Amino acid sequence: MNAHILVVDDSGFARRTLRQILESAGHTIDEAKDGNDALERYFLRKPDLVMLDMVMEGMGGMEVLAKMRELDPQAKVVLATADIQGSTRADAQTAGAAGFVSKPFERDQVLNAVSTVLTGGLSWN
Amino acid sequence: MELTATHQDTLTELINIGYGRAAAALSELTGRRIILEVPKVAVHPINEVAATLTRVMSGEVASVHQVFSGPVSGNALLLLDHKAAVLLNSLLLDVPMSDGRLDSDGREAITEVGNIVLNACLGVFGNLLQVQVTFSVPRLHLESVSGVLSSISVRDRELQYALMVHTRFHLRDSDISGYMVIILGITSFSRLLSELEKWEQRETSS
Repeated sequence: MNAHILVVDDSGFARRTLRQILESAGHTIDEAKDGNDALERYFLRKPDLVMLDMVMEGMGGMEVLAKMRELDPQAKVVLATADIQGSTRADAQTAGAAGFVSKPFERDQVLNAVSTVLTGGLSWN
Repeated sequence: MELTATHQDTLTELINIGYGRAAAALSELTGRRIILEVPKVAVHPINEVAATLTRVMSGEVASVHQVFSGPVSGNALLLLDHKAAVLLNSLLLDVPMSDGRLDSDGREAITEVGNIVLNACLGVFGNLLQVQVTFSVPRLHLESVSGVLSSISVRDRELQYALMVHTRFHLRDSDISGYMVIILGITSFSRLLSELEKWEQRETSS
């Protein structure tokens, strides 16, 4: 299933890495470099899935997740972060995220999480 | 001496990943969630590093200092203000918080925290950049930031400029916050930039 995916990260390096992985699997990518940009793009273009960094200047990932889910309870969001603490996952899960991938990104882990979440599943391994 | 925007971005992401691992280690040790901030990366003349850090951390600090060596070598520091160190010690050893100085058990506990956190962070750098670094024994210092840094720069005369990366971390539901700082000299800095370019190439080319 090829999808339209919004990649939200303040790091250009991380966005380029995810773009390379996701485009190679046939997905179409849109990028946002901060929380406000992400919310605007989400509601203008309604992507199928969002890959969301947690630690960002200004609006952090958890706040972006909460706002996105508040305005669209169906939003499918996968955390893509270096913050690998169990409590971060738990908080994000409670806030409605559907999955988690850790940095540095591994192609198989990213594509499995995306595929699982796009088909309505959860990906927390 | 300046970083290009691409170097700055790639380096910040590398540090972000390293600090993420360090935070997970610290969270496991304390049972608390660690709130991380985006790392700050800058090149400073070595004599300005102390002033930069003193703006965010004054008075006596507990610093765990580790020298790392290899193709990229430098100094890594975990800095806690004195009150945070005492509080962290009481959390780690599950003892009531004292109002005095750290005793020998406390010093040992904070040193070990520094060792685990700094190794978690620098281990990620080594793995991702594919350079092997070795670590000295961690040393705990209880003195001002400028005191700690002056002893580093006297020992390493190459440190005319330093690549300084630092980030604040905060333990949720506590008053504990601190900084991690990495300082590199010019030669290691150049090597690091070259390794960063290779990493970017590996990660972003299909």
